[in-house]
Amino acid sequence: MDKCRRNIVVLEPSKIVYEGLYTSISKSEYNFSFFYVDSLIELETLMLKREISIVLVNPGIVQNRLKDFANLKKQYSETRWIGIIYAYYDNSILKQFDNLFPITEEVTKVIRIINKICNNKTSCKQQNEHLTERETDVLKWLAKGLSNKEIASKLNVSIHTVNTHRKNIMDKTSIRSLAGLTVYAVSKGIIPLE
Amino acid sequence: MYKTQKSFITKDKKMLDLINENCSLLICLQHFDVDFSVDNSTVEELCVENKINLNAFIVIANLYNGFFPVDNEINEIDDIKPVLHFLKKSHSFYIEDKYPELKYYLEKIKNVHSSRDFQLIEQFFNDYFEEVMEHLKYEDEIAFPYFYSLERKDKNAQLKSFSAKEYRNHHTDIETKLTDLKNLFLKHIKIKSDLNTKRKFLDTLFGLEFDLKIHSVIEEKILIPLIEKIEVQQNG
Ligand SMILES: [Fe+2]
Ligand SMILES: [Fe+2]
Repeated sequence: MDKCRRNIVVLEPSKIVYEGLYTSISKSEYNFSFFYVDSLIELETLMLKREISIVLVNPGIVQNRLKDFANLKKQYSETRWIGIIYAYYDNSILKQFDNLFPITEEVTKVIRIINKICNNKTSCKQQNEHLTERETDVLKWLAKGLSNKEIASKLNVSIHTVNTHRKNIMDKTSIRSLAGLTVYAVSKGIIPLE
Repeated sequence: MYKTQKSFITKDKKMLDLINENCSLLICLQHFDVDFSVDNSTVEELCVENKINLNAFIVIANLYNGFFPVDNEINEIDDIKPVLHFLKKSHSFYIEDKYPELKYYLEKIKNVHSSRDFQLIEQFFNDYFEEVMEHLKYEDEIAFPYFYSLERKDKNAQLKSFSAKEYRNHHTDIETKLTDLKNLFLKHIKIKSDLNTKRKFLDTLFGLEFDLKIHSVIEEKILIPLIEKIEVQQNG
């Protein structure tokens, strides 16, 4: 599956508000899978099963369960928590969130907030799919059946470096098996057909 | 529940609604040997009617909806027979249906495009196909009979030298090369053929890849822990 797809959850009792957020945020340049939950328990269950990048929260749902909420936040420290404000909330509640926006906020601004969060995570950067010269060398030897260790000594680098190249080759080509990489190498003329 | 994603399946949901939401569940039903005319039945009613362990069904069907089980959901499966039947049925589905289908489309493509690149693909597929058949044969003839005998508490039929651990250690991956095949086709190698045949070929690939991934999760994350639990119970 597309590595750059992020899971986003809306914790909010109103379906209408959810639908609105869904339609607006879908226009972001990032790809999202949306989930709708209306209780903290449901959110907890979901988070066990999915890696969630962003949770949009109606503070009303968590204001009487701040302890549970804080625990959840601690448990999933990578997740970003955004409060959607449409009533007055005490500052002690508001400071629980990484970001806040009022429900009347303009769509473009909401998207900007979300994009900014996504930008900060480097794990999802678009990769250049071209193999470097070094990676091509490694692939050549791999396809010929050499072990990492043998390649390392041939190219005069550490096994660790060979492993990194190998991982990059697999990421760039999306091919993970040795047999598959061999087909790739032959079809691209990297090694001759024997 | 989780809107725009597939529903999390619970015992009270109507099977028909679930099928309408995700038609991959048809394959899941087929592996459970359940007819598709589900009428108005809930998941629970359907399981009762077909004598399937409800917890097993829910955990497995949820995999088709994209939900990975947590430990206590797996531990609640108190009957491994439906899991074994399901896996065995899937094996025949792969052997008799899906792989021959892939072979058929490859043959068809070959008739119009018999280049060097295609030979590479064909060789890759044939080698992979042999691996898969070996994998399935090993499970059908050695691993599963042992699991069944364990389930029946039939000590005589049990191979002394076999165990869940042995199975775990020998369990190979049969999905990666299928994914590679897909990516070779989609990203790297231009094979000339009519779009319809190619699309059908890819369609089958995607379907099989999806099912195989679930299959492996069931074997490794559900079956093995359950078998290990039984082994401990029986051997103390
Ligand atoms: Fe299997
Ligand atoms: Fe297997």
